[in-house]
Formats: sequence, structure tokens, C-alpha cells
Amino acid sequence: MTNAILEINGLHQYFEKGTPNENHALKGIDLQLREGEFVAIIGGNGAGKSTLLNSVAGSLPVSYGQVKIAGKDVTYQSVEKRAKLISRVFQDPRQGSAPLLTVEENLSLALKRGSWRNFWSSGVKKNERNVFKQKLASLGLGLENRLSAEIGLLSGGQRQAITLLMATMRQPELLLLDEHTAALDPQTSATVMQITDKIVREEHLTAMMITHNMQDALKYGNRLIMMDHGQIAIDLNAEQKQGLTVPDLLAMFKEKSGTALTDDAVLLSD
Amino acid sequence: MDILTSSISLGFLWSIMAIGVYLTFRILDIADMTAEGSFPLGAAITAHALTQGVGPIVATLLGMAGGAAAGFVSGFLTTKLHIPDLLTGILTMTGLYSVNLFIMGRANVPLVGTVKTVFNMINIGSSTTTTIIIGAIIIAIVIGLLVFFFNTEMGLAARAVGNNEDMSAANGIKADSMKIIVYMISNGLIALSGSLMAQTNGYADISMGIGTIVIALAAIIIAEILLRHLSFGQRLLTIIGGAIIYRLIIALVLDWGVDPNALRLFYALMLTVFLALPLVQKKIAQSQQRRKNTREFLKNSKEEK
Repeated sequence: MTNAILEINGLHQYFEKGTPNENHALKGIDLQLREGEFVAIIGGNGAGKSTLLNSVAGSLPVSYGQVKIAGKDVTYQSVEKRAKLISRVFQDPRQGSAPLLTVEENLSLALKRGSWRNFWSSGVKKNERNVFKQKLASLGLGLENRLSAEIGLLSGGQRQAITLLMATMRQPELLLLDEHTAALDPQTSATVMQITDKIVREEHLTAMMITHNMQDALKYGNRLIMMDHGQIAIDLNAEQKQGLTVPDLLAMFKEKSGTALTDDAVLLSD
Repeated sequence: MDILTSSISLGFLWSIMAIGVYLTFRILDIADMTAEGSFPLGAAITAHALTQGVGPIVATLLGMAGGAAAGFVSGFLTTKLHIPDLLTGILTMTGLYSVNLFIMGRANVPLVGTVKTVFNMINIGSSTTTTIIIGAIIIAIVIGLLVFFFNTEMGLAARAVGNNEDMSAANGIKADSMKIIVYMISNGLIALSGSLMAQTNGYADISMGIGTIVIALAAIIIAEILLRHLSFGQRLLTIIGGAIIYRLIIALVLDWGVDPNALRLFYALMLTVFLALPLVQKKIAQSQQRRKNTREFLKNSKEEK
């Protein structure tokens, strides 16, 4: 495994360990993502997808196991330390940007992700503005003339698209997408998903996307993982997922886990 | 006229404190009680230094540095030890009472006679004019530096922390350090205000901090009620106006012959009114809209018939 960007070894996560409410959320995950892999992770509620993502992001301390990113052991690194290697788009569009700062201020902040910020040079640099305009124009949402608008005034979809830019302008080793289209209306969700796909492919990013939407998981990305009860139930590469449909996936899951997938959120989303 | 000029001169000095309070109150979204300890701390350090023969500018800067140190303590307690921010302020403020007594050696240090202060270093005119001119120069420097800092890479990061901590962490901003820096700048300015106040009043007093945060908040709220949606620099400028208006109100109230003992009660009542005002305005606007709607709705439905 020379070019593994993400390497998870024997990862266990417990919540409220030692109490009657103990929840063994992740049961020994081993996962490797190679450079350029774009994996979609699906699974019902409580399958452990968010726990997995939070363990990689650093917002959840690891109970047992190891997380390595680009060859570096980051198991005990804080979120802000990992920001050098990882960028993240949250589920809630409000979570990814600072609402009272302007669009360009947010973008400038993201451009310095993981590096030292000095107290003498201006936060938004003149030569950055043209880059921002270009990047915003490429989103096709007409945001290129709103550089000095407070970002809190924009819609959820617009904010999510900008967060996506913020997460990718400075190329991360690993991009984490945490159900980033789930809080948007279907049409906006589709737009943001297309933008995501475009950026990931153009920039050759390694990405891990959690989604409730099986259709999206089949359509986008070059790998698909289905989780169940804290374990990886199905792991398909690009070739294997080619031509699969949602019913195929459900049948595969039933065969593998012995139970039918009954989670409405997974079944109903199409 | 006399009331006006004295309100302007006092308003200038208070506005430095109000700007300090604004940084924690609006940028970090914290009501930091440390202010009531760092205000007399600045006064105590400067008064002590002046009586020891230190030059007024150095003495003032020492007072400011003391405030920054107090801010560091509060910032450390809340970010590193996770003590709730309201309690942190109360803890530091309480501790500072003793510290201030140690520094001053007694409850009141007069600055009279030959003691040079920043306000009598140069002879410009009457004491009120001098206060206004020196005060204006200091405010210009303070606002200039703040606007500059909060637009730098680090300044933007500090603003983002108060705005959205998740986003800040995800972008590699060390929230704890940023908060401590804002705490230090904030309390440094509050102590500067205390230091200047002692120099213009001619004494430092152990109890001069009591109620000051209410005065500062009132200046901020007045500014925010009068003018909304301003940039950072514009907001700081309007806070000066807020502080002057507040001093004017107080001066007029005292002029009417209100018992000075009732002054703090009046401070509290007035701030309550200011804080409630936006809600009241909203309610009034809503009920006007409702009446207008009912009227037009009735009129239209009649016309339809």
C-alpha cells in the first residue's frame, strides 16, 4: 500500500463505554483509500457512517485503532491540526462558513487552511479576488458578483456550493463530504452533487462521501461501501458497481447481512 | 454647552472601554465581566507608576499591558480549563480586586499637584479641550489599529471563531489562541480607558470599576439601535457616538437634580430599556403591519362585493 491516502486500521468506537447504554458503534473497521478514489458510503441509521467520518475528521476521539492520512498517523491529532490534510463539507450548509463574514473573507480564510496566519498582511488579497471570481463563476450559480455579500444572506444551496469551493481551492489530501446534499431541496441537491463530481474529477481528489441517497452513491464516485452495524458489509470497486441498480444493491445487502434493509431513509430516497 | 463638551470628553474616554467590551461581546459573543476588574487595574497601575515618577505615556501603556494580562487569565480559564465564560469573568474580576489593592496600597490614590498625566503633558487649552483632543488622538490610533488587525489573516480568523467554531476548526484555525488574543486586546483597551479616566479625574479608586460594563454595553447598544448593518470600522466609530449620547443622558439626569446615589439604578434601568428596545420596535412594526393589512383586506373584500 504505497499510495494509500487514507488508511484505517482496526478502528473501534464506543459510546458511553462501561454503562448500560454502551454502544459499540464501529466494530473493527479496516479501510484503505488510494489516491484518486472517490468512495460513497451508504448505510441505514446507526450503521456507523457518520461515526466513521467523524473519526477520520478528528471530531470524535478514537477508542481503539489507528487512522493514517497520507502516511501520517493522525489518530490523536485535533481537528484543526488535521485541517492541513483534510477538508470537510458539513451536512448543515450553515456549518461550513462564517455567516457574518463576506463571501471573499470566507474564501480567503479557506485558502489558508492549515497554515500560519500572520497579523500584518491583509486577510483578503487583491490578486485573490480574480481567482475567487473565476471559481465562483465556474459554479454557474451567479455568485461571481457577490464577493462582498455577507455569506449568511445566501441560500443553503449557494452556501453549500461555496463551502465546496472552500474545501477544495487549496487541494486537500482527503475531502470529506458529510451528507452534504441532504439538507437541500432535490433540485439544489442535484446541482450541488454535480458540482461536487466535477470538482473531484477535475482536481483528481481523494474523497469520502457519506450519503443517504443510494442513487447518488451508484451514480457518483468510483467505489461504493455499504455499512451495517458498525462494519463494512459491502465494498464495490468501480467495475463492480457499474450497471448496478438500487434493487440490486438491496438484494446484495440482504444476502450479505441476512436481513432486509428496512430503513425508510435509505429505501425511500431515489 | 458645558454639559455638551464635558459629555464629549467623557464619552471619548468611555468609548475606548466600550470598544474593548464590543470585541468580546460581539466578536466572541461573550459578556466578559473581567472588564469591571481590568478597568480599575489600568487605573491602579498607571496611578502607581505616575506617583513613582514614571512618564505618563509609559505609565498608560503599563496600565494597558496589565489589562491585557488580565484578559489572558480570563481567556486561559475559559478556553483551556473550560470554565464557563460568565464565571471566568467573575473569577478574574474578584481576584483583581485584591490585586488592585496591592498595587495601589490603599483604596484611593490621588494624582494631584506635580504629577504629570497624558492630559497635562502639553498645554493646549482648558482641561476639557485637552481631554477631547488627546482622547480623539488615542481613539483614532485605537480604531485604526483595530480595523487593520481585524482585516489581517489572523484578524479574519479571530472573527470567524466567534462566528462559527466548527468552520474555524475545519479550516485549521486554533480557536483557543484566537479567543485569548481577543480577550487580551479587549481587556487591554478597557484598562487603557481606566488609566485615562484616572488621569483625567485625578485619582484611581478601588471601586471605580463597579457598573462600568453596564455603561459600556449601553454605549454599544445605543450605537446598534441608531445605525444597523455597518462594517466593523463604521461600527467602532458609532460606538463613540453611543458613548457620548449616554454621557449626555446621564449629565442631563444629574442636572435635573436626581440623587447621585440613584445613578447606578438608573444605569441598570436604562440599559434594560435599550436592550428591550429592538423587540419593542419590532412589535410596534408588526402591529402596524397587522392593522394596515386588516384595513386593506376589509377594503378589498368590500370592493369585491
